[in-house]
Amino acid sequence: MGNNTDNQQTDAVLLVEENSVRCTGNWTVTDLYALEQQLPGVQWPEQAMLTFDLHEVQKMDTSGAWLLARTVRNLEAQGKQVSLDGLSSGAQALLDLVREAGGVSRQITHAKRPPFLFALGQSSLLTLVRWGDMVAFIGEMGETAMRLLRHPIRIRWAAVLHELAQAGHKALPIIGLLSFLLGIVIGYQSGVQLRNYGANIFVVDLVGLSMLRELAPLITAIIVAGRTGSAYTAEIGTMQVTEEIDAMRSLGIAPMELLVLPKLIALLIALPLLTVYADIVGVFGGMVMANLQLDLTFGTFLERFDDAVSLDSYLVGIGKAPVFAVIVATVGCYQGFQVSGSAESVGRRTTLSVVQSILAVIIVDAAFSIAFSYLGI
Amino acid sequence: MNSYTNNNDEFVIQTRGLSVSYGERKVLNNIDLDVRRGEILAVVGGSGSGKTTLLRHLIVLTRASVGSVRVLGQDVSSLNEQALLALRRRIGVLFQNGALFGGMTVLENVGAPLREHTKLSDRLIDELALVKLALVGLKADDGLLYPSQLSGGMRKRAALARAIALDPELLFLDEPTSGLDPLGADDLDELVLSLKAALGPTIIMVTHDMDSLWRVSDRVILIGEGRVLGQGPIAELARSEVPEVQRFFQGPRGRAAQRQSVG
Repeated sequence: MGNNTDNQQTDAVLLVEENSVRCTGNWTVTDLYALEQQLPGVQWPEQAMLTFDLHEVQKMDTSGAWLLARTVRNLEAQGKQVSLDGLSSGAQALLDLVREAGGVSRQITHAKRPPFLFALGQSSLLTLVRWGDMVAFIGEMGETAMRLLRHPIRIRWAAVLHELAQAGHKALPIIGLLSFLLGIVIGYQSGVQLRNYGANIFVVDLVGLSMLRELAPLITAIIVAGRTGSAYTAEIGTMQVTEEIDAMRSLGIAPMELLVLPKLIALLIALPLLTVYADIVGVFGGMVMANLQLDLTFGTFLERFDDAVSLDSYLVGIGKAPVFAVIVATVGCYQGFQVSGSAESVGRRTTLSVVQSILAVIIVDAAFSIAFSYLGI
Repeated sequence: MNSYTNNNDEFVIQTRGLSVSYGERKVLNNIDLDVRRGEILAVVGGSGSGKTTLLRHLIVLTRASVGSVRVLGQDVSSLNEQALLALRRRIGVLFQNGALFGGMTVLENVGAPLREHTKLSDRLIDELALVKLALVGLKADDGLLYPSQLSGGMRKRAALARAIALDPELLFLDEPTSGLDPLGADDLDELVLSLKAALGPTIIMVTHDMDSLWRVSDRVILIGEGRVLGQGPIAELARSEVPEVQRFFQGPRGRAAQRQSVG
C-alpha cells in the first residue's frame, strides 16, 4: 500500500509464464492503464490450475485490488482454479475488502432509455404541466397585485426603489450607447439609399418612425431582459437553493409580496422611462449621422421631425413598454421559482429566462404591429 | 524554528511558525504542528478559532505567507502549480456540506477524480466507483441518484466515497458528523474507523463532536485564539490543568461524552 514513498513510476504488468502468472509493478490507480488495456487480450494457459505470483507487486491500492479480484473472478467463472501467491497481508486485506464490496455492488441497473413514444408523451405532458404552472404563477401574481393595489401601504416601497435603481438607473449607460449606435446605423443606411433619389430630408421620417415605433422599445426590452430578467432568475433561484424562500414562507412572508411585486412595479416604471430615453438618444444618433453624411443641420432635422412623426407613433412605442415589462418580470421571476436543487439548475433556468423573455417580447411586438395596422394607427 | 526531523516518513504534515492574519486580526499565530503517519488527529476549537483557516493550509488550497508547511514531505511554498496538483491528488477531503457536484449523479461524482487523473475505461471507473460506494455503505442503486435526492447522512457517505476515490494517503474530514442525527453520527464514526483499518490513510478531522473525539481520535489538538492551546490523547487533555483546555473539555457535553466512553 501507500507505505512505499519512493516515486518510481512503474506500470502494473502481468506476464503469463509456464506455470504461473507473474505480476509486477505498482498496482495503483495511476499505473493501471496499460494493464487494463492488456487484460482482454491475455492468452491464459490451458491448465485448470493457475498461480498468480504477486511477490514483485510493489504497491497495491483498492483499484489494483479490484482489477485483480475481477480478473480472478472471470477466470474462476471459466472453471479454472486460481491461487494467489506472495500477497502481502495488507494487500490480502484489501483484496478481501473489495471482493466483499464488489459482491454487493456488482449489478447496477443503469436507467434504460425510454422508448420513443414514451419519451414523447412524457415531454408533452411535462410541457403542459409547465404551462399550467406558469398560468398559476401569473394568476397568483395578479391576485397579489390586486390585493396590494387596494392597500398600497403594504407595497414594499423601499424594495421597489432599490429595484428601480438597479433595473433603471444602472441600465442608462448601456441602453444609451446601444440606441445611439442603432440610430447611427439606421441613419447611415437610410442616407445611402435616399441620397440616390435626392430625398435626403426623408431620413428624418425613417429614423424617427423606426426608432420611436419599433426599435427603441424593442432594444430596451431586450437589454432589460438580458440584464435584469436574468438577474431576477439568478437571485430568486439561488434563494430557492439555499432554502431562503422556504424560510420566508415559514415566517409568514409571501415571497410574491416581498420579491416579485417590487420587481414588477419597478420594471413597470423603469421600462417606459428607459424607452423614452432610448427614443431621444437613438434619434440623436440618427441626427448626428444625417448631419455628417447628408449635411442636414440639427435645426432642419428637428423641424422636419415635428411634421413627420406624429404623437401617435411616440405613444405606440411607449405603450408597448409596460407590456414588455410585465413579460420580462414574470418570466424572470417564474423561472427563478422553478429552480430546484443545484447550481446547475440556476444556470439552466437563467438561460431559459433570457431566451423565453426575448422570444416573448419579439412575438408580442409582432402581434402589436399586426393589431396596429388593422386599427390603422 | 525551521528544523524538521529527518525522518519524513514518520510525519506526513509539519508546520513551523505558521501565521495568518486578515488585516489587523491574527487568525493563526505561530502554529507548530506535527502529524504522524497513520494516526487519527482531531483538530478542535471554538467557532472562529482558526480551525478552518488551518485546514485550508493543510489541504494546500491556500499557501502560507508566514511560516512553512510541509505536506507528505514536500515544502508547499516551493511547489509550482503542477506539483501542487500532483500533491493534491494524494490528499482526500470531505467538505463540511459534502460539496458534491449537483449536476452529476453520485456514481459520476465518485468517478470524477478517476476520470480526471487516469485514462482507465469508463466501465472500470464505474466498477471502482461502485466498490467505493460499497465501502462507505451505500447501495449500488444510490449511485444513480443526484446529490439533491440524498439525505444528509447519505450525502456525507457519498462525499466520503469521492474523497477516497484515489486511495489518498491523507484524508481530511471537515466536521464529518455535523448535521447528522446521533445514530447517523455513530455510524459515521464507525465508518471512519473501518476505512482507517482497511485503507490505512492518515486522518485529520475537524470536529465539534465530543463523542467522536472520544471514540475515533488517537490525538487531539485544541486551537484557540490562533494558538495551539493543548495537544495529546483526549484522555490526557480532559485531565489537563490549563484553564482554557479545561473549559473546553469539562463543560457538560465534554463530561457526558467522557462518562459514556469510560463507563
